Amino acid sequence: MFSSTSFLWRRLGLAAVAVALLGGCELLEFSPSDFRGPEEHTNLTQKNLDRLAAQPLAPTDTLRFVFTGDSQRFYDHAEGLVESVNQQRGISLLVVAGDISDFGLAREMRWVDERFSKLNVPYLTVVGNHDHVGNGRAAYQEIFGPLNYSFVYGDTKFIFVDTNSREYNFNGRVPDVPWLQTQLSDLQGARRQVVICHVPPQDGDFDPALDQAYTRTIAEAPQLAFHLNGHRHSFSIGEPFDDGMTYINSSAVDTDSYAVLTVWNDAANRPQFRLKRIFF
Amino acid sequence: MRRLWITPLKTGAALLLTLLAAGPVWAQDSSSSDATPPWYRPRHLVLQTGSGLGMLSAGAGYSFLRDRVETDVQVGFVPDRLAGSTLTIPSLKVLYTPYRVPLGTKLELRPLTVGIYLSYTSGIINDDRGQYTKGYYWFSADTRVGPLLGGRLSYLRPAGPTGRQRRLSAFYELGSNDLYLSGYFSNDNFRSLSPLDIMTLGLGIKAEF
Repeated sequence: MFSSTSFLWRRLGLAAVAVALLGGCELLEFSPSDFRGPEEHTNLTQKNLDRLAAQPLAPTDTLRFVFTGDSQRFYDHAEGLVESVNQQRGISLLVVAGDISDFGLAREMRWVDERFSKLNVPYLTVVGNHDHVGNGRAAYQEIFGPLNYSFVYGDTKFIFVDTNSREYNFNGRVPDVPWLQTQLSDLQGARRQVVICHVPPQDGDFDPALDQAYTRTIAEAPQLAFHLNGHRHSFSIGEPFDDGMTYINSSAVDTDSYAVLTVWNDAANRPQFRLKRIFF
Repeated sequence: MRRLWITPLKTGAALLLTLLAAGPVWAQDSSSSDATPPWYRPRHLVLQTGSGLGMLSAGAGYSFLRDRVETDVQVGFVPDRLAGSTLTIPSLKVLYTPYRVPLGTKLELRPLTVGIYLSYTSGIINDDRGQYTKGYYWFSADTRVGPLLGGRLSYLRPAGPTGRQRRLSAFYELGSNDLYLSGYFSNDNFRSLSPLDIMTLGLGIKAEF
């Protein structure tokens, strides 16, 4: 018994060494919900913000950015999108209106990053309902970062807000309307604002107890250029609440199209925009 | 990150050793009256990491057709700091190992094992707690099925009281799951993803007693 026990320990030791060697390798996966991965695929929101800060926009310039969404399970199409966006001139960043992944799995998010990190510009994401499935929320936070965040680039304040109410079983706290109000009330030196979310307020996946407070907050925002969302996969633009606020739904990555948005302020300091759809 | 391995490996090793030590006692009990083990006595114990079945997964199994076909029932766990919540993963494997290659008197190589596993993950945050209408997501967040392909190297131990070959084996298994396969084969993604992208690795030891 003693000899077989010491043999077992030797064998276990060898196994431990093998495992340690493979420790950094995502192949050895404990669960599809296991979000461990290379450091390069973590904290991507902050890393992209750092990239953005390293290429400041002159304060008087208009800002041009690409708007897409719902990259879920469209890896081949994502490559085409990156190739096309890299041919655009004067673009500062790309925003993805949620549903980075389809099953809320870390590997899917890394597959998307492997493609979008080849963009010539930084990209920023908002969390979508599919990114919340299973333990996706934890994976999203590990790989991308906060669920609600904002930043100022040039003269524009971008506000990314989690509106995936159904994924919280309509708990009355998502979207975080008080947080959104605080963000919108402080321009932090910017001259215009942009709100980006995944589920639009007219959708059944948006908390019906919060849609009025949300749309009122959006409509009353002092310098909001428009409201951007994804979820519905087909492009649309309009004023669904007849309150003077423009809501734009991104086309999904599999449509082989995206929007280029240009924003500036007119002589009266009111935000203006131009939208161009690109098909590739 | 590597530090994380040590405690569970030690715990797992201790667990397996306890079970191994208990094995002969169990066998002896039955051999005192009859050398044939009771039908419910497992043929082997297994301890592994990876394959999406747990940071550590332990279980027992039965074999048929002179150890060519095995069914393993395991339970694995993943700590919350690696997955967002503590996961408990019961799983069932069915494995087929057609060939044995003797390597001297003490070692044996089984170069090919093919199989399938089914797992259920308990502890998932958003599976279905009533917030989704029926069919809202077409896939299950907690039930996985996937193929396995691997091999193993065995140390042959003297036959026990039951007269059956006892082995202590180290194995590896490559696998995938239904969601990764769906990612790979839909929307022309096979042009973009590599097979390695959807592959998982499992490593473990199996003791027949």
